[in-house]
Amino acid sequence: MRLKPLDWKRGIGLGIFTGVIWGWIVVGINTLSGAFPFENGLLYSLITFSIGGAVFGIVIGGFMVVMEGRLPFKWPFPNAVFLSTSLWVVLSLTGLMLSFVKPGRYHHVTAQTIQGLGLAVILGALLGLMWNRSVGRRGIRP
Amino acid sequence: MKETAVEESMLNGIWPVLIVMGVAFAMVVIVYGVDSVLPGAHDTFHDFRHVIGIPCH
Repeated sequence: MRLKPLDWKRGIGLGIFTGVIWGWIVVGINTLSGAFPFENGLLYSLITFSIGGAVFGIVIGGFMVVMEGRLPFKWPFPNAVFLSTSLWVVLSLTGLMLSFVKPGRYHHVTAQTIQGLGLAVILGALLGLMWNRSVGRRGIRP
Repeated sequence: MKETAVEESMLNGIWPVLIVMGVAFAMVVIVYGVDSVLPGAHDTFHDFRHVIGIPCH
């Protein structure tokens, strides 16, 4: 596999940008839905959700570049949604298994799980739209 | 000249994978609040974890 430095740097950069924006959207959506009452202030939440969003964005953007040609769809948009949703499902299922192993430490909340799945789709959709806009429908390489 | 090109090619393939794997590890630490790896990870990202629907206490 040979990646141009510009390719993966651009993919990770797009992931950071999209992830931070997504983090702010997540704060807004949860404020409206009330699925989890925030325990910290707005500024604190904006900072931590930006960091968390950027980390998710880098991972998905990175996978978009590293797995190019091995993803199930031809276009970046469905691939980004697929990756984001799959990643969330894996993390959520692992969390569910942990809740069986350590029920006092981890427990499942249905409203938050449904919201999380929707947010994962939104992250993938945002990254897919940014990807299309930045590098074109065919993928990251010209 | 050819060896340099091969090394450069390998680095261009390895670096992104290492970076993505490193950040993916950070994501796991954040998502499950692994304080033993990063002290304070659980409390710092407690709200984030709940809001994105990952089981927590």
